[in-house]
Amino acid sequence: MSTVSAAPDVIHINDVSKRFVIRKDKSLKERIVNFRRSNMHKDDFWALRDVSISITAGTTIGLLGANGSGKSTLLKVIGGIIEPSSGFVERRGRLAALLELGAGFHPDLTGRENVYLNASILGLSKQETDEYFQSIVDFSEISEFIDTQVKFYSSGMYVRLAFAIAVHVDPDILLVDEVLAVGDEPFQEKCMAKIREFQREGRTIVFVSHAASQIAELCDRVVVLSHGNIIFDGETEPGIAALRDSFGSH
Amino acid sequence: MGTEARRRASRLASLPFERAGSANGSAVSGFASAVREAWSHRELLDLLIRRELKARYKDSSLGFLWSLIRPLVMLAIYYFAIGKILGAERGIPQFAIFVFSGLTLWGLFSEIISGGTMSILSNAGLIKKVYLPREIFPLASTGSAMFNFAVQLVVLIFATVVLLQIPWQIEILYAPLAILVVAVFGIAFSLFLSAVNVYLRDVQYLVEVSLLIGFWISPIVYSFGFVVDALGRAGLPGWVTEIYLANPITIAILAFQKAFWIAGSTPEAGAIYPEHLGLRLVVMIIVGLLCVWGAQRVFSRLQGNFAQEI
Repeated sequence: MSTVSAAPDVIHINDVSKRFVIRKDKSLKERIVNFRRSNMHKDDFWALRDVSISITAGTTIGLLGANGSGKSTLLKVIGGIIEPSSGFVERRGRLAALLELGAGFHPDLTGRENVYLNASILGLSKQETDEYFQSIVDFSEISEFIDTQVKFYSSGMYVRLAFAIAVHVDPDILLVDEVLAVGDEPFQEKCMAKIREFQREGRTIVFVSHAASQIAELCDRVVVLSHGNIIFDGETEPGIAALRDSFGSH
Repeated sequence: MGTEARRRASRLASLPFERAGSANGSAVSGFASAVREAWSHRELLDLLIRRELKARYKDSSLGFLWSLIRPLVMLAIYYFAIGKILGAERGIPQFAIFVFSGLTLWGLFSEIISGGTMSILSNAGLIKKVYLPREIFPLASTGSAMFNFAVQLVVLIFATVVLLQIPWQIEILYAPLAILVVAVFGIAFSLFLSAVNVYLRDVQYLVEVSLLIGFWISPIVYSFGFVVDALGRAGLPGWVTEIYLANPITIAILAFQKAFWIAGSTPEAGAIYPEHLGLRLVVMIIVGLLCVWGAQRVFSRLQGNFAQEI
């Protein structure tokens, strides 16, 4: 137990707020025409409000909440994709974000070319990709199509290849957003097995999911968000109960 | 906790914390860290340039040749319509080489700008889902424009050989400086425009129109001598010419013509060039670098909201 308590923090979320301003007038003409009434054409809301969390290395943490509660925004702020309006996020170690599998795939390039491109996007050097290439292809189980353009792939093949690349990046922190709900059942099981292996290896996983069963199975801590505020932070089972309560408040 | 987990934990404990996202930083340190970040992603930059080049003509049978056909058709049009029919080639020996050297360099500039302006929007999928230093997208379109330019440059050199106008002269050293001017200003504009275009989509149409104007106010299909004559006839003072020469692209094109169009430098042709061309190029490069710095500062201010504005 003493080794667990000695685990260092890897993510500090300090008073993060995110305010979205939605402008309804995108074109120059509309802006000029509406110049005086400009504020009437703005809508804003707080997607996150003074959120502070520290995450220790090796934990698997689930972000829960109803639709629009800010959990995906929080994940993007952790990943550095969205800049918070106030507050900041500090982290250490290599990060891989599985916010959308195959985000960097180009449909006209072959599987092989996309492996190199996507691995590079996730932070692998060419040399490292060379080393892992065979293992990536084996994991994805699509070796016979590796030199086909990915636009001809089925959606399952697409996801397999993308997931295979992502798990080979050797991340210390893995951000996962709903992506495990894809692929057929054997492949989903393979993904879950890989996640469990990651847990054993002491990697930190931040998870967004609506599947309570998946959360209950994998996470050792959950954070429940509602309207951008943290309403619960702690053990999994009471967390899922808090989530159910938060649906009532909508 | 397994041994691997323990090893990972102790390694992580020794790492310093870093801020998520791009460091905005002060005017100098923010720019320096952006340059460092872009440099550390140079392998990715290379892959993105290749992706752009490969994907562009992937399913066309002539493929890559299309990037040559367009400038050659433009050359033919300007050569016949403006050179022969409107008679612009009088006083401009070897008009084809003259026009093609201007067209090639202008093509580089316009491709950097038009590709760069769209670069953030067209990579929306990546920008919304993965954190990367976003500066690499305009840089990647600059890179692919550079490649197309290099191919056209080979055609230009080939043409000078066929027409026995080989630019084996000391003035050829103007060429790399001219390319540098175009590249530096191209990067500055595409950083700025790509970021602004996310918030205001009119920019992309504005850019199209401005490029059209830019083409005709640069001495590409007419010579600088014509401009000096026309201004002289109108009785305008010398500083009007200086305003004309304040355009960095004009300076770059004049220098490029001086480098490749040797027929203009013969005593009987006596093409006119502005004074201190080399000095002007150096000044333009310095001004351009300052513009890159300014554009990057604007870019880094605006990029925080890219992911939700696209």
